[in-house]
Amino acid sequence: MVRQRFWLGLSSLVVLVLAYTLLSNAYRFFEVSKLAEPIGSALQPDVLPPTQAIVQAVVDLIKGPGAQPPPDEPAHMHHHQHSSDHVGVLLQQGVTLQASLAITIARVLFGMVVGAPLGILIGLLMGLSRRTEDYVHPVYVLVRSVPPLAFITYIMLWLGHTEAHRLIPIVYAVAATMVIPTYHGVRDLASTYLVAARSLGARGWLLARKVLLPAAGPAVLSGLRYALAIAWMTAVGAEMLMAENGMGNLIVGGGMWASRLQTRSDPAVVMVGILTLAIAGWLMDSGARLLTIRLTRWAR
Amino acid sequence: MSLVQRNRFRRALISLGTIAVVYGVAAEVGRYVLPHRIWMDVHYIDNVELLPTYRSLAEEMAFLLQSWILPDSILVSTGRILAGFVLGAATGIAVGLATGRAARLEYLADPWMMLLRFTPALALLPLYVIWFGYGEASKILLIATSVAVVVMLGAHHAVRGVPQVYLDAARALGASRSLIFRKVVLPAAFPQIFASLRVALGLAWVTIVVAELIDAKMPSLGYLLALSGAYPRVPQMLIGLGTIAALVFLSDMLALSLHAKVTRWMRRTG
Repeated sequence: MVRQRFWLGLSSLVVLVLAYTLLSNAYRFFEVSKLAEPIGSALQPDVLPPTQAIVQAVVDLIKGPGAQPPPDEPAHMHHHQHSSDHVGVLLQQGVTLQASLAITIARVLFGMVVGAPLGILIGLLMGLSRRTEDYVHPVYVLVRSVPPLAFITYIMLWLGHTEAHRLIPIVYAVAATMVIPTYHGVRDLASTYLVAARSLGARGWLLARKVLLPAAGPAVLSGLRYALAIAWMTAVGAEMLMAENGMGNLIVGGGMWASRLQTRSDPAVVMVGILTLAIAGWLMDSGARLLTIRLTRWAR
Repeated sequence: MSLVQRNRFRRALISLGTIAVVYGVAAEVGRYVLPHRIWMDVHYIDNVELLPTYRSLAEEMAFLLQSWILPDSILVSTGRILAGFVLGAATGIAVGLATGRAARLEYLADPWMMLLRFTPALALLPLYVIWFGYGEASKILLIATSVAVVVMLGAHHAVRGVPQVYLDAARALGASRSLIFRKVVLPAAFPQIFASLRVALGLAWVTIVVAELIDAKMPSLGYLLALSGAYPRVPQMLIGLGTIAALVFLSDMLALSLHAKVTRWMRRTG
């Protein structure tokens, strides 16, 4: 079973990558523009980047600025050329793939470290007392409905062009995500274990450490994994909108995004960015999953 | 109305009312305390109301309603959400049901599902602009993609979550594969698929804020927000935020009540 799964998965990866390579290199072998219209323009190398161009972009972006000879013209001349050379512009700005990834991961981790305790706290308060729930829940529903990427500009007006307006949406998204799993984790046990423990005389710290934490733990941990995915998405979105570094910036090619999108970015770089994000996200989630399994081993 | 419900309602009113009053007072005080001239990147911006008072919010609202900017934007953006949602949900459910039912198909799709799961849909936008043009198709397809990924995973896990006992029992009674699929798998998987549709609907609203920045034309909520940030015109910005939040809230409530209605048969009576 496991072996079949592995080989089928691997073969589908290999077959699709090979098919893509053939398709994207079709323009070398015959005049693709003579084909019927949607296919003809879709097979152009600046629409469907050949696999070797993607690999080249990865190599260039990892090697960093040192790999390219310094340009003759001053930097601002290149500002209008980004559509022709996305990689070149990035390298001139000193962007590398690994540095961008590190910045994005740092933002995600910051969002998790600050946002998760906040959300867990709100969820705990709501789950433990009906009174608090009645007061807090309507406000929570109101606040949660605001998409995190929508209020970036408003934060910018208050705090200026700083790191804050990239971090606050991530913190907010993580906190809003963590409230509900924590609340349910606490609520679902409140009726049974809690009453039993209380009637046996447990309270305060003992109750929190021996009953509440282990019982609500699994729900909170699975919530954390989900929050990680949300933070990942929010971080990239925030960076695409308003950041001059990180993976989102790498994808849109630096600078303000709205103006940048009117020019065409290099699809090879976008694909490098997407693949990097997907693989890094998957690795982070696998780590979180292993940790979850380790921490909740007693529950099995 | 029971006592618990009445208490709940009263407390909700108190906390929301308190926030509304505190905001009103803060805005009135803010008119004198907060700066009206702020430094933005490379230049100063004058006449900024960081906390707009209720009066300026109402004036802005009246303007946005009278000029039909807000109603038109709501219609256009909701239309895009609906189109993308229907497209994405149909694709996602079809793929998720298929991979959930056929193990070989699941193994084949496995590596791609793993990659798709952690691809932030927003990152696809530059690629879609190149592939599908700088216009309507890219926006709708971006929403459809972000919906499809969530729904596909939801449908897949929903089908895999159907207890083996049900399947064995149906097979032992002589049901064919298609009958088992229609009468056992689909009903049992339905609640979880619906739950993923609800999550995806929320996500679609997150996506549109970014998707509407391309080929930005006026009647659209995403561009309304972007434009209000460019002036910047804070009352308009807050109204835009509030409108999106209200629409997210409403669509979520709609999904919840629909969910309750279509899964009524699941609750045991007596």
